[in-house]
Amino acid sequence: MSYLTDTTEGVQHLLMGNEAIARGALEAGISVASGYPGTPSSEIIENLARVASPGNLYVEWSTNEKVALEVSAAASFAGLRALCVMKQNGVNVASDFLLHLASSGTRGGIVLVPCDDPGALSSVNEGESRYFARLLEIPLLEPADFQEAKDMVKWAFELSEAIKNVVMVRSVTRLSHASGNVIFGALPVSKRLPAFKYHGSLLDPDCGPIISLLPGMPESKHTPQQGKIREAAQLFEQTPFNAYEGPKNPELLIVACSVASLYGREAIHLLGLESRVGILKVGTTWPLPQQFLKKNLSKTKEVLFIEEVFPFLEEQVKILAAEGVSEIGMKVFYGKHSGHIPSVGELNPDIIIDALSKLLGLKYRAVPKSLAGKVEEATKACVVPPRELSFCPGCPHRASYWSIHNALELDGREGFVCGDIGCYTLGMLACGFNAVKTLHSMGSGTGIASGFGKLKPFGLKQPVLAVCGDSTFFHTAMPALVNAIHHQSPFTLVILDNRGTAMTGFQSHPGLPVNAMGEEMPAIAIDEICRAMGASVEIKDPFDVEETQISLNRLMESQYGVHVLILRQACALSPERKTGKKYEMLVDEAVCVGENCGCNRLCTRIFRCPGLVWNKEKASARIDEVICAGCGVCSDICPAGAITRREKV
Amino acid sequence: MRIFGSNEMAADVIQRGLCVGCGACVDICPYFRSYRGRTAMLFPCTLPKGKCHAFCPRAEVDLDELSLQFFGLSYGDNPLGTYISVKAARGIYPVQNASFQAGGTVSVLAWLALKNRHIEVAVLTDREGLLPVPRLVTDPDDVFSCASSKYTAAPTLSAFNKAVREGYKRIGVVATPCQVIGLAQRRLNPMAESDFMDCASLVIGLFCTWAVDFRSFEPYISGRFAVEGIKKMDIPPPPAQVMEVYLEKGKAELPLNDIRGFIPAGCSYCWDMTAEFSDLSVGALEGRPDMNTLIIRTERGQQLVWQALKHGYLQVEELPVENLEHLAEAAKNKKKRGLMKLKEDGLFNTDDPAEHACLRMMPEVAEKIIT
Repeated sequence: MSYLTDTTEGVQHLLMGNEAIARGALEAGISVASGYPGTPSSEIIENLARVASPGNLYVEWSTNEKVALEVSAAASFAGLRALCVMKQNGVNVASDFLLHLASSGTRGGIVLVPCDDPGALSSVNEGESRYFARLLEIPLLEPADFQEAKDMVKWAFELSEAIKNVVMVRSVTRLSHASGNVIFGALPVSKRLPAFKYHGSLLDPDCGPIISLLPGMPESKHTPQQGKIREAAQLFEQTPFNAYEGPKNPELLIVACSVASLYGREAIHLLGLESRVGILKVGTTWPLPQQFLKKNLSKTKEVLFIEEVFPFLEEQVKILAAEGVSEIGMKVFYGKHSGHIPSVGELNPDIIIDALSKLLGLKYRAVPKSLAGKVEEATKACVVPPRELSFCPGCPHRASYWSIHNALELDGREGFVCGDIGCYTLGMLACGFNAVKTLHSMGSGTGIASGFGKLKPFGLKQPVLAVCGDSTFFHTAMPALVNAIHHQSPFTLVILDNRGTAMTGFQSHPGLPVNAMGEEMPAIAIDEICRAMGASVEIKDPFDVEETQISLNRLMESQYGVHVLILRQACALSPERKTGKKYEMLVDEAVCVGENCGCNRLCTRIFRCPGLVWNKEKASARIDEVICAGCGVCSDICPAGAITRREKV
Repeated sequence: MRIFGSNEMAADVIQRGLCVGCGACVDICPYFRSYRGRTAMLFPCTLPKGKCHAFCPRAEVDLDELSLQFFGLSYGDNPLGTYISVKAARGIYPVQNASFQAGGTVSVLAWLALKNRHIEVAVLTDREGLLPVPRLVTDPDDVFSCASSKYTAAPTLSAFNKAVREGYKRIGVVATPCQVIGLAQRRLNPMAESDFMDCASLVIGLFCTWAVDFRSFEPYISGRFAVEGIKKMDIPPPPAQVMEVYLEKGKAELPLNDIRGFIPAGCSYCWDMTAEFSDLSVGALEGRPDMNTLIIRTERGQQLVWQALKHGYLQVEELPVENLEHLAEAAKNKKKRGLMKLKEDGLFNTDDPAEHACLRMMPEVAEKIIT
């Protein structure tokens, strides 16, 4: 049994932030949790799925974030509590429904947890979910540590039921993925019975139909919605999640939220500024608790905002201060607008230390010169070459892109690949032979290819390819593919089917015969969907590089219609492939052409599977047996036949 | 010969439109491949010198170097190159119903060379639809399935490279002039390989004025006829301004002006009509559609012809003087056009070491040809 369901009240566990969020939801007595995988959010649903049981807790990986929110909303409409989880840009996908949900209102407590990724550590964007809370007028909470992550999520359900609307709790990578001590509260024993009541009047929030707005009558829903925000603001005045720490009248007041509060506290401590600088941690960042803030702003003349990524809190507090200037007096503000805090990337205590040192005229350097010198000295000896991101050894994507690249070069008409989000995003880099030339959101490669295809009558001669993963196919590529087929946009969609949502940790998707909770489910066949839509479909093994390239070239020759080429091979890290190598790979050093004309290190210079190593002394390639996944592809690309494979018994 | 690497190959030859897709650089390394009549560089190679550049008939070809190697004398101004004799010839077919071009001399000679084990394998060019496909042929009777002109530029030398890799030591090649030059470059052992062996035991060159680019030619033809039904193609000598296409039923004629539109840019730099660095060169014979012009250039070519005559597989006649004159004039005109174009584009005898030449030869000889 998971420690997440430990019923001992007051017990302390070391929890990852995402586990703390999951525990908070369990303590709130949720019945449903849904989400779409995405770093840094995935562990929340994964942990809940492990403790799910029929009639007690239902957990699913939904097809996409919008559907996930709809699934959770249904539970709320039936009076149950539900948690919906996604990464920051998932909120963009869910936002259309979220706009309407925020307007319609909810019944059972429903909490949306987006996990933002400042610094884009595992993303191709640094998008912020917080603005959606303000844009769509729903309350926003930002936990600053692990205990708060649990407690705030639990409280968010109560808030949601109090104001009858969805509540957003925003996490960030450093909270979701770091760990800390969390004291457990009680786990509820009784469960609610679901029922969707709709017999009341259209505008009855408890028993009527649930609709977003009556057309032409914004006051029907919009007015009450804004009332809910005012109600939340009132509740926020009292909550302990907003707290001031520091001298009575600090020289400088730090206003912080989320993990930046911890960085602020660390900076104050390291600089010994406890008597000069105060820190105001704001846990409820929208709507702001105005009285609480005004009271604290009155303590000082100078204010420094620290938050990731955009000046969300900063700008709102400035509005508040402008409106309340007669009460609190003139202030001098520092933060992202003043340039003291960067508005791109993650923060850390050093950045705050530098800002405080500058503002207070301190000579403190986050990294002293003497240490910097030592670091330089120490690293001189061991020169580590800068390395690009790369595919894993035995990754089917490397093989797929090898064939795609070669097919495009052979074709010679400057064809290109429209890519999107997955491990295969790396197709834009050298490990994917730079084949990918457009990269945007989930499913967008297919939509962009659909558009490029329609430029042929204008004279576009370049062949167009799109790539998408198996999970991405279901997520958002399907509507784009339907669009392309209906409009007869000629291009080839290559579905890189590695049998799972591999990048985020093999979460299930509709193409697999299992759900998030490990229950058997009907797998939906991608090839049959595409055929039914009207595309021509072929399925190949990307490890057969020659066959794959031939197919690609043939499909690119076609001037009409949408072709789907499914390149199916399980991810090298998947449970089915991780357990054993198919082949034992061997290099015959006598046969290896090495750096000579006729090869010039094709395998280690161009193909660059990490399982292949260049042995400078012997002027030959060799296999790194520890990491080689035994896929066998390198033996097919070796021009000299020096790399051979032997079937493992 | 100045030798550079793949990047110079790509810049000087492919990107400048000089490439004729002969296949000299294909299948010797993983970087150059041929697809649908065009040569592609899949990845850049970092070596400063490579076989790709050394073998290329469009990169730093030194005619004196070649002529000294193969004929023991400097390159002269005879528009037909160096030769022993020129004849009118016709193959006496050992099989029925094969489709030959003109007299079928080439097929018979290649067949005989294989049959009498003068060569172990023949590098020939077959076609699939209109796509020329290089073939390695070891069974003499398979020669005839590759008979007749293709007109589309073909990567035939890639099959020669393959044959060498597979360990054949006596290889016969039927090739167009550009391919013969590429092969000749290779036969110089430009990379000074210690285990080098000249495996080209027989080189039969084909007369060529120009070829057509498969990728533009194919849609033109397939828009008019079912490509599978094409038995043979021919461009009869002037004044006929047509390409003849022999179909299942009858013959169609296409205006030569249309076809000229498909000539690849690379052909415009060509100075060789009669495949001067071959053992034997064969082409059409004006006014005699059943016969070929046969240029015997080397001793070993001569030997093969004698054998063919001895066993009755070949019939030869003296070439009428006016035919020889016409041929020489046509060859001279092509040479002149090619050299002028090379000069115009700064690709001939460049002095600046930074400039790479396509062709080098003694300036006074070039002057004689041009004027």
